Parts: sequence; structure tokens; C-alpha cells
Amino acid sequence: MRKSFIIQFTLLILLIIYANIGDRSQAELTEDTLGNAGGVRVELTGDEKIFESSPTGRAPEKGGTLVMAQSAEPENLNYYTSTSAAATRFLDYIYEPLLDYDYETWRYDRPVVAESFEISEDGLTFIYKIRENVYWHDGQQLTAEDVLFSIKAILNPFVDDAPLRTSYSKVVNADIDGSFVFHISCSETYFRNQEILGGFAIMPKHIWDPQGLMDRYSVADLLNPTVTREEAAIKEFAEAFNTHPQGRPVGDDAEPIIGSGPWLFDKWVTGDHMALARNDNYWGADSTYIKNYSEDGAYLDKIITKVISDATARLIALKAGEIDFVPRMRAIQYFEQTITPDFLEKFQKVSYVVPAYSYIGWNNDKPYFSDKRVRQAMTMLIDREAYNKYIAYGMGIPTIGPFYIFGEQYNHELERWPYDPQRAVDLIEEAGWIDHDGDGIRDKDGIPFNFIFSVSAGSTSSKYMALMLKEDLRKVGIIVNIRQLEWSVYVENLRDRQFDVVSLLWIGGLETDPYQIWHSDNIGDRGSNYIGFKNAEADSLIENARFELDKGKRNAMYFRLQEIFHEEQPYTFMFFQRDPGAYLKEFNGVKWIPIRPGYKLYSWWRGASAMGSPL
Amino acid sequence: MMNQIAPARSYSQIVSSQFNKNKLAVISLHVIYVLLFVFIFADFLANDKPIVMHYKGSTYFPVFREYGVNWFGMNWQDEFKSQQFKILEDRYEEGDWAIYPVIPFSSTEYNLQVKLQPPSMAHVFGTDELGRDVLSQMIHGARVSLLVGFVAVAIYVVIGVFLGALAGFYGGIMDIIIQRMIEIMITFPRMFLIITIVAVMETQSIINIMIILGLTGWTGVARFTRGEFLKVKNEDYVIAAKALGYRDFRTIFRHVLPNTLTPVLVTATFGVAAAILIESGLSFLGFGAPPEQATWGSLLSSARDTLPTGWWLTTFPGLAIFITVTVYNLVGEGLRDALDPRLKQ
Repeated sequence: MRKSFIIQFTLLILLIIYANIGDRSQAELTEDTLGNAGGVRVELTGDEKIFESSPTGRAPEKGGTLVMAQSAEPENLNYYTSTSAAATRFLDYIYEPLLDYDYETWRYDRPVVAESFEISEDGLTFIYKIRENVYWHDGQQLTAEDVLFSIKAILNPFVDDAPLRTSYSKVVNADIDGSFVFHISCSETYFRNQEILGGFAIMPKHIWDPQGLMDRYSVADLLNPTVTREEAAIKEFAEAFNTHPQGRPVGDDAEPIIGSGPWLFDKWVTGDHMALARNDNYWGADSTYIKNYSEDGAYLDKIITKVISDATARLIALKAGEIDFVPRMRAIQYFEQTITPDFLEKFQKVSYVVPAYSYIGWNNDKPYFSDKRVRQAMTMLIDREAYNKYIAYGMGIPTIGPFYIFGEQYNHELERWPYDPQRAVDLIEEAGWIDHDGDGIRDKDGIPFNFIFSVSAGSTSSKYMALMLKEDLRKVGIIVNIRQLEWSVYVENLRDRQFDVVSLLWIGGLETDPYQIWHSDNIGDRGSNYIGFKNAEADSLIENARFELDKGKRNAMYFRLQEIFHEEQPYTFMFFQRDPGAYLKEFNGVKWIPIRPGYKLYSWWRGASAMGSPL
Repeated sequence: MMNQIAPARSYSQIVSSQFNKNKLAVISLHVIYVLLFVFIFADFLANDKPIVMHYKGSTYFPVFREYGVNWFGMNWQDEFKSQQFKILEDRYEEGDWAIYPVIPFSSTEYNLQVKLQPPSMAHVFGTDELGRDVLSQMIHGARVSLLVGFVAVAIYVVIGVFLGALAGFYGGIMDIIIQRMIEIMITFPRMFLIITIVAVMETQSIINIMIILGLTGWTGVARFTRGEFLKVKNEDYVIAAKALGYRDFRTIFRHVLPNTLTPVLVTATFGVAAAILIESGLSFLGFGAPPEQATWGSLLSSARDTLPTGWWLTTFPGLAIFITVTVYNLVGEGLRDALDPRLKQ
């Protein structure tokens, strides 16, 4: 043993000598080694908000199957009670709302089930004229009764849909006028009313409430706690609704989900796949379905969504031909593992935008981050540009605030905070964080600057972020501890505000209301303002903007709000996301839009001429 | 040693000469010495701080200083507060120099501009997704692996020997209780048990892993010790000890235990290999060490996403785990054969 150690020690000395005299210059990545992925980059700047990634100029043909993969499986398929995006995404093909986005103006006023609508003069009542030619998949006609039933189900306090119901908290009444007129009233003239009141999925009353349990109660009854407490039938209905077999149609003999949309429910094999089939009797096929997007409803015969949770496995399945479309890949897959000529010949790669932004949230109530100078310093200590370039492969779109960068609310006047560690250190010292006791760690009032960065266990990108921050902050005398937490625990801590720093993603829309996330009303009590942002001017801007129906005036308030966010840095706003995806080149009519999830399969069709069709 | 056969040889001489006949085991033992060396001198092998440096007229020993800062409450000199010695190079005056370790990168030091580089002169085993040096991470990861191996096994050997000794020596109700405890423990699949415990733990740390591995692994040792005790407890010297009126405690630990310990040592060697493998597995699944701590398992896990691009990220840590586990098993086998009197030639 002694001999062994002496030999090793000598060897070590020799190696050290060699290492210190040898040449150690290293090749660094340059712009072109970072590479071109050979894909299409969707840009939605200006007025053009639809991007077709492989236009053919040919008329769409019907037929063909699309197999796509997604990472998660919904816990159930009840539109109102399910909280997963996977369920919403799937059910949006089956159910229809009264109104939807107009794909040209991007306002929420395209009639779907409603033929037309009116808003009363005070702006509080919305009157919808329901189309008389809408039929459910089982042949029954869709009437205003179904619409009324749907809103009753949403408002029923015993239905498990609390997150959805909060959006309808300002509803005071709703009723029908004959078979084809539905009207609904609110207590406030909220600017998103049009989207919320016209945007719920309509469910068939004859399937979900065949006995008509809810007929006896008006919407006003459901909003009256005394009535809902005393009437057993309301609770009885809710329990049946929460567990209705339509919400979980698993297996071959399950009754299909009945909706009214351009696709029929086909099958759900848990843990494996969900399938949709085209509705050939679709009521809307005669008229123009979505102008400028998918005029005849749907083209594909079948859409199969496979559940493959592992990203590597999804790519392998794509390459093996088991699936045709992967909507989300990892950046490294997109830029390094799918760049062979073979792959590029067979598949079309696209990076498209989704209205979601990543951020680092500083708990404003913690002593470290209560001073805005420290938060500004943190932002300047994070080299966001390098992160985007090397870790995210340039897929992030830098943002200064929470509003969608391709929407009208975004304030383009503001400059991003630069990466400037020296200025950051000055600010931190100005805020009083100086190493008083000489132990190498900054402190203030006896509290060492030593905080916990919580990372969700599955997220590699936030893990990298945390690792980089830890290393960088160590150099300026700040200790970062990284804690990896299971998602459920992570969310729990977030709601209870038990954290120092989190790194997360907010998913928004074209137009969003900052109330939920930024108003001080929503601090505590499990509200979404879990970082505890509190600013009197911001609060009043948020409140006033909610009821300002004039878009110009409202956006002016939001511009000012973004200035406050910029100054206060409650979050370090990182990037709007680009999602990289790839699909088989046989598919045409592939269009990308600025609303979630970035694509709608209505317009997709499979070219008969198979592979190698003209781009 | 082989050629000078003395008329009377001690037990340890017999064992070591038996062991030396097994060439594979001897080589493996030397590999373990290398690992031990890496374990002890990791900071001198891979570090972003110079071992010695001459800066503005004085000589410093930053690596040693780091030990002082971490363990003895010393502070960094003011000019080194940021610990960025490489940046200081730009401020060198005439006659300043620094001697760096063999791998002049720490395991956490990242450089995005050299991310995912294949092995080269600068980064012998390449770099990972953040541009961290893989070899440096492996050297510091070796510390974790070996530490987990030794400490976990030490914990469970102590528990196992103690319980096994009680069961074997006293028999009766004590034996029944301890045997049932063992049976209950072994009904749980060990990996699942460990994952379950780790999942409910608040914080991730190596110490937790070592304790959990220690608390779940003692059954084999306990059974072994119990068997040995049953064999030995009726020997004359044990009866003599009892007859002399020694307390049970003294009889068990002074007289019986030393004669039963050698086989336990063999199991322990295999145990180290098993513990290293389990730790790697846990780190691979993300349950093991905290993210900033480089371990072989977590290196492998991060490499999974980059395949097939980053072959060096899987190959080297994989080999390290393979070699370490193999050498411990080979040494264990050699030791077992050397201790087995029936195999003596």
C-alpha cells in the first residue's frame, strides 16, 4: 500500500508539471458551430399572425391519419373538472364554445355555436343567438337549453371546477329566451367578459343531466348559498357530474363522448393513446368554418395522440415512423440530434411560438429580496443572453414583462436590464448587503445572504439555471442552495409561499389580465401572487384597466404597469418560449397560430402524393 | 515474501500469501489504492484554484486555504474573496506565477462557450451541457461514491454485527425477535424502500443516502454474525469466559466477536460495491445527491438527454462505476478464498 501511494504521488507531481507547462488552448463554440437546425422559424410579428410552415398552394384533401405524441395523459376527460392542459387540448376538438377567436383580427368574436351576439348598452348583459342547425354527435339538436345547462354546471358550487368557476364569479344571472336565445349578465364590465362568457365549452344536457335535475334551479339559485345548501338535488347532480362516465370513457365498450365539434371521440386507452375521428356529419362543414384557416372543418380522418412521457423515447418513436408529429422536443434534440440529411428530408422541423414565458420569481417578502435594488441586481447578475444562446439554443424570445410579446399589450419601449455584474454588486452593497463579519458571505442585520433556489425535479432547464446562478453568486459572496422538489410538493410550497426563489413558466394568452398574478389582493390565501408583489400604483392600474373597455386606454395603463414591473423586478423576466417540433413532410396545411398550443389540427391534411411533395 | 517460508506463520501472513496467489484480486486491490488516492487528493487533482501561487510579492497556497475556510473557520485573503484565480492572471505583475492542479477546473465551474465538447487536450474526458469538465466531476464524484460505499457499509456492519451477536449469543426469545425483524426487512425490495424513504425526505444530501443505505442493509451481516456466533458460542474458550464470571458484554465483544469478524469483512467488501451501485442508481433517478454535487450516477443521468451526441458523458462515468464495482467484488472474492481454510493448499 505504501509503495502504491509513493508511485501515485510521484505520478501526480509529474502530471501537475506537465499540465502547467502544456498548451491548453481550447476550441470555443462560435455562431456556426452552434448550428442551424434546418427548420422553419415561425415569426408572428406585425399583423400576420398565421404562419404556414409548408405551403403547397393545393386544395386540401380529406383522408389520412395523424399520430402525434404528448408527454402527459389527462387525469380525466371532463372538460370542467379536469385541470390538465392535455385534457383541454383533446376536448377542444370535440366540444365547441359560443364564440372563438377570429383568425384574422384575433378578437374573440368569431361565431361558432352562436350565430350572432349583442351586448346591452350598459355592457353588462350578453345576448347570444344560437344557430338552429347545430347537432350533437348523437343526432340531437343543440339548443339554448344546453348552453344554459353548461353554465349551470360550471356555477354549481359542488362541481369540482373551482379554478374554472372563479372566472365566472361576476355572473349574476343567465337564462334562455325561447329555444335559441341565451343571455347572461354580469355585475361588472370586465374587458375579458366577451372571451369568458362566450368561451366555455357547451356540453349536451340530455347526456349529462337526463333527469333534468338542474331544471328546477335558476342561475340565481345556484349563486345563492342558502339555496345550494338546502337543496339536495344540486349536490346530487354535482356528484353525478363529477364522476359521470362521459368524463372517463376508458375501454372499448365505453360510451363515446358526445360533443358537437368537427371531430368525434373515438377511443381512450389509458397509458397508451387517445383517438379522434372526423365528424362527417359536422353541422359547420357547409358554411365556412374558420376563415383563412380551415374552411371545411376538418380534413384528417383520424388523430391519434400517444402518451410518451420521455423526450428521448418520443424522438425515437418519430424516427421509427411510429408517430408523425412531435409538438415539443428538447432544444438539444432539435439542434443536434435531428440534423442529418435523412431526417431533414423526411421531416419538417418547426420552431413556433407559444404564449408562455419563463421567469425567476424572487419572494419579495424574504429579507434578501425585499429591496428592489437587490432584485434589479439579481437580474443583472444573470447572463440571460448567454443562457438563451447556449442552453436554450436561442429559442427564447427575451421579454421585459408578463404580456405576450406578439400581442398588443406588450410595451416595446422598455430596454431589458443588461448583464452587468459590477453594477449589480454596487447595487447590492448600496442596499446594505456587505460582508460585515469577514466570512466571505454578505450579510445584513445579522442575516447572511444565503437562500434556497427551488427547482422542480423534472426541469433540466431550471436546474441548469440554478447551477449557473449558484456558481456566479458564490463569486460575489452570496450562497445559493439548490433544492429539487417533486412537482406536487413544489406547487404546494408555492401556494403556501414557502420558498425563496423559484423558476417557472406562466402560460398566458393573446390578451391577459394581470389581476390574478400581480394584484396585492392575491397575496396569501393560496393566491397566484405568491411572490408577494405589492405596489399601490400597480394595484390601481390593474383595477382600473379591468373595467376599461377602450383598448387604447387600457393598453396605456398596461404600458405604465410594465414600467413599474421593470423598475421593481418582482420577477426576472426571462423569455417567451419557442417550442421546437417536427412532423412528417407528407402533411400539408400546417399552420401556426399565436394562441395555445400554437397549432390547431383542423387545417392539417395528408397529401396523396406521399413523400417528397413540393414544399 | 513468497520464497521465505518461515516454519511458523501468523494467521495474517497465511491469509496474505493466499490472497497474493490470486493475481486478479491483487490488481484490483491496487485499483482500489488508486481510487483511495483520488478520494484523498481530489482537490489537488482537479480544482480551479492553484496549489501554489506567487502573487504581488507573496506566496499563497489557495487549495490548502480552501480546507482552512471550509473546515477551520478561516477566511479568504481580501484579494481572493471572489475565488476567481484565473481572472487574476490578467493582473499578474512581473515574476508572478501559479501552479495549478492536473485538471485546472473545479467540478462546478461552468463555461457555456465550451459546452458539450468531445474529449480534447484541454478537457480530457470532454465537457457536459454547461461546459463543465467531465473528468473533474468524475474525480469529485469518486469522493461521493467511495464515501457512500464506506460509510453506509460501516453503519450497517455495526448494526448487523450488534443484532446478530445478540441473536446468536442469547438465542431464545431474543433470537426470535431479531430473526423476525430481519425477515420483515428483507420482504421489502430494497431499492423501492430506499426510494420511498428518500422521496419523503425534505432535503437531498449524501448523508441521508448513507444513513438510509446503512439502515436498510444490515440484514445480511446480522444473519452472518448470528450463524458464526452459533458456531462459536459452545467453544471451550467461550465456556471458560463464562465460567470466569465475565459479564455477557465482555464475553460477546472481547472473546466471541473477534473470532467471527473475518467472514463479515468479506461481506462488507461486497457491500461496498453494492452501495456504490445503489448510490449511482439513485443519483441517476435524481433521488441521490443534490444537483450541484457531481456524482457518477448523476453524470450518467444528465448524459441520457444528450445521447447520441455526447458519448463521452456516458462512457467515462459508466466505466468508472463498472470498474469500481468490479474491483471491490474481485477483492471480496479474493479475500473470501484466502480466508476459507478448505481452499488452503
